[in-house]
Amino acid sequence: MSRRTLRTKVLMHALLVPFLIFALFPFYHMLLTSLKQDRELYDRFAVPLIIKQGPTLEHYTKLLWETEFLTWTKNSLLVTILATGASVVIGTIAAYALSRLKFRGVNSFGTGIFVTYLVPTSLLFLPLAQVVNWIGLADSKWALVVTYPTFLVPFTTWLLMGYFRTVPKEVEECAMVDGATRIQALWRIVLPIAIPGLVCAVLFAFTLSWNEFIYALTFTSSSEQITASVGVTSELIRGDIYFWGELMAGAILGSVPIVILYVFFLDYYVSGLTAGAVK
Amino acid sequence: MTRLSRRQFVIGSTTGLAGILVTRTAPAVGQTREISYLCWNNFAPNSDKKLAEIGQRFTKDTGIKLKIDHISHMGPQQAKYASEVQTQAGHDLVEMRMHFPWLYEPQLVDVSDVVAGLEKQYGKAISSAYEGAYVKGVWRGVPQYHGMFVATYREDLFKKASLKVPDTWEDLYVVGKELKKMGNPVGIPISQNYDSISTAGPVLWSFGGMEVDKDGKTVRINSPATVQTIEWYQKMFRDCMEAEVLSWSDASNNESIQQGKAGWIHNPVSAYIVAKQRKLVTADGINHHRSLGGPHGRHETDTPRHIGIWKFSKNIDASKEWIRYLLGKREQYDEYIMAGDAFNLPAYEKLQDHPVLRSDPKYAALRGEGVQYHTYGWPAPPSDKVQLITNSWLLPNMIAKAVTGTPTKDAIAWAETEMKKIMAG
Amino acid sequence: MAIGTLPTTAERARLPWRTRVREMLDRERVLGPLFITPALILIMLLVAYPFCVAVYFSVSNSFIGRPSHFIGLTNFIRLWDADAFRQTFQNAFVFTGISVAFKLVLGISLALLLNQQLWFKRMIRGAVLLPWVIPTALSTLGWWWMFNSLYSVVNWTGIAMGIMDPPGPNWLGQRYYAMAAVITVNIWRGLPFFAITILAGLVAIPKELYEAAQADGAGPGSRFWYVTLPMLKPVLAIVVLFSTIFTFSDFNIVYVLTHGGPINSTHLFATYSRMIGLESGRIGEGAAISLYLFPLLMFVVWAQLRFVRKQVF
Repeated sequence: MSRRTLRTKVLMHALLVPFLIFALFPFYHMLLTSLKQDRELYDRFAVPLIIKQGPTLEHYTKLLWETEFLTWTKNSLLVTILATGASVVIGTIAAYALSRLKFRGVNSFGTGIFVTYLVPTSLLFLPLAQVVNWIGLADSKWALVVTYPTFLVPFTTWLLMGYFRTVPKEVEECAMVDGATRIQALWRIVLPIAIPGLVCAVLFAFTLSWNEFIYALTFTSSSEQITASVGVTSELIRGDIYFWGELMAGAILGSVPIVILYVFFLDYYVSGLTAGAVK
Repeated sequence: MTRLSRRQFVIGSTTGLAGILVTRTAPAVGQTREISYLCWNNFAPNSDKKLAEIGQRFTKDTGIKLKIDHISHMGPQQAKYASEVQTQAGHDLVEMRMHFPWLYEPQLVDVSDVVAGLEKQYGKAISSAYEGAYVKGVWRGVPQYHGMFVATYREDLFKKASLKVPDTWEDLYVVGKELKKMGNPVGIPISQNYDSISTAGPVLWSFGGMEVDKDGKTVRINSPATVQTIEWYQKMFRDCMEAEVLSWSDASNNESIQQGKAGWIHNPVSAYIVAKQRKLVTADGINHHRSLGGPHGRHETDTPRHIGIWKFSKNIDASKEWIRYLLGKREQYDEYIMAGDAFNLPAYEKLQDHPVLRSDPKYAALRGEGVQYHTYGWPAPPSDKVQLITNSWLLPNMIAKAVTGTPTKDAIAWAETEMKKIMAG
Repeated sequence: MAIGTLPTTAERARLPWRTRVREMLDRERVLGPLFITPALILIMLLVAYPFCVAVYFSVSNSFIGRPSHFIGLTNFIRLWDADAFRQTFQNAFVFTGISVAFKLVLGISLALLLNQQLWFKRMIRGAVLLPWVIPTALSTLGWWWMFNSLYSVVNWTGIAMGIMDPPGPNWLGQRYYAMAAVITVNIWRGLPFFAITILAGLVAIPKELYEAAQADGAGPGSRFWYVTLPMLKPVLAIVVLFSTIFTFSDFNIVYVLTHGGPINSTHLFATYSRMIGLESGRIGEGAAISLYLFPLLMFVVWAQLRFVRKQVF
């Protein structure tokens, strides 16, 4: 490598540093704060960038044993897994129909799905709250299981349509000539090829569902029914007392499932994001 | 998938669905009575633990099953109550605060009989409880406890500078000037939060002023008392406080005194208690003194809490039994109050000098001798319009305008217009 | 029965119903609608219907627990009387305009950097994408602490570096600072989306175009302006349009960071609608507020369908 190329390379990396600091510092700070003792945490003259008086796990233990954090996490997991499962199934068959089959209304339905994805949840939350009340699911995590697919299905459908299109039609047609029904062809031929797409869809559905906030905040309120995000942001503040250590611990722990998935499936996240825009 | 398993699947899922539908409609005929109680996350977590304990004792003694649910206050609580009312389903008992008994009056059971029993034992309920839950001659919630505001100050700094403990708002100005010179200014927020209203209210009341009259309709903010209030705030802002109070949150005054900056704040006991719990350096120096007075008396903000029963409850008698159990037995009520560590004080006259106040000498001022306690919006009854005036922060906004350059007359005129708009609906 | 040949009508009549069903399912005209039915039902019941309910609420005087009456466009008009609403309206455009502009410029810059031959490429990409993946409500809590009036690490750093006078601004308590704070968090959260998506667009640009431009004597600046940007236009259009609608209707960041304050200076339609509709019980007004999102939504949909649909569908 010539010296000039090396210099350019170093320069590129140097230019990336501000971006990396910007992206990562909040997480570093949150982690640090969650490990600081109260005494140092609430000291106006302490240095916020390091821990001087020794770390502590008390915020985490308080969070786990003295609040309903585990219940909230359980709720989040339940809602997310069910909603993701349902949405990926519904999305898969809808995507297959829209990308492969010819029937009346296929184009308008395709557009409809696309438009639905763009309708923001902050427009629908108010009337949906009333609908949820009417069907008797007020203040219940089941309300979330039922309503989350409304934004997960359009997204997964759209994502999977792109993937299904990469499966050559001939493969299916071969199978059908050999006597397989369309459904068998879908199950045995197309889906296995589209597995990267399915993994992507599951990941994104999981992430979007775990991340969702306004529906969770609106449709659930009792300490037993709320999800992790809602619980951490509302129940760790009592009147004018803010439990900052526990708040940060809760924010970190509440993100753990996503981080785990992220670390293992990073490439799928990247390809899923780009599939949305470029395909 | 074989045909057989597919059929099994279909049958299985339909039965499952039917089962779910059946269990949703609970059988009306039940041997064990069951009630549910929705209350908020208490400031004192021990209080919630004690409540659960008492609940279990209740079940053992009466055989009535009790389920206690918690909710974080403010936003979620309002939305939750609204949805229970809309769906006519939910909990049997609900905790009430602020104007909720007035807002939900048509949906709440008349509990005057329960209150009458308690009043016979403990003396009359305190005035703020009457204001909050005695709606048009009928009790819609049973007063259980209250948490009032009190003057919190750095006793050690006062002693060091030989400052007199203030007794009136005017005294506070004199002392405040010295405090600011010492670098420990007075900390009264003038921003959009409840702490701001909780101070502005008492100041206004002690000058004889009010937002809306006790007929609940006439806006009376445009008065000489309001002018006096604003002038007091203007001189306080100029000589005793720092500009940051314009952007404070509910927790800011707590933090300021806990951190050793503020010399005097107006707050419930939370500031001191948290300093104690977190073993902060300032904890030893913080103390309370009696609420301040003015030419028209000594008034203070109070936040009473009551227990209400929804009319749609199927177990109204059992619910009343629970309330009588929790509050009616003196030792139990005392236990419950003690668990609250002075956050929650009993709401009946004969119990005002409660042992919990003696658990720490610094709670002495909470006895509030000679202090009149009111809810937000006094003297107007807390209808939803009056509450909307409170929730729209009109009083603090008016004061904020006046201390940052708007002429007093204009600020008052603005507040009057906005309040009239709200009252007109 | 020979596999693969359709039975005659007479034969068909004698077939067991299972085979007939299987046959029907093989027909595109039957399978297609069947496969989209679950999605269709979901959307009809939980998107289209609530939308109509929202419209109904907005033209009525709905209030929690009370019967409602039709009042026409009164809600929409009366909203303009409220200081808070006018402020919200302005906030939404300021917030979205500034955020999207920054995300676009920074996104392109970051994408260009990521497109280089880098060491630790995978780790860097992972780090860059992290803010987008973590639940926004929780990461905003971290920013809330970073902007806290007494303990802000932002202020501490600024004072330590000498660019701020102690005690530093009260970020979340003062008008323009609060808006700056929510914009910053939005940029932090949305930048990865821009960067990674634009990166994919960059990767797709054929190298020959650059080589041809270089042969023609174009420098890096001109190459960017005349080759990269035009080729990126479709990707940029998609990303900007998506981001616009999601930024405009944002809820999480403002709700957790400032709750709309101070003095409504950071309220967006979503948070204001929730405050009025749910916390004050005025459902009619709340619905009207959230419906102000609709015109922009329509515009974005139209723009997407017009310029983008060709590629997607």
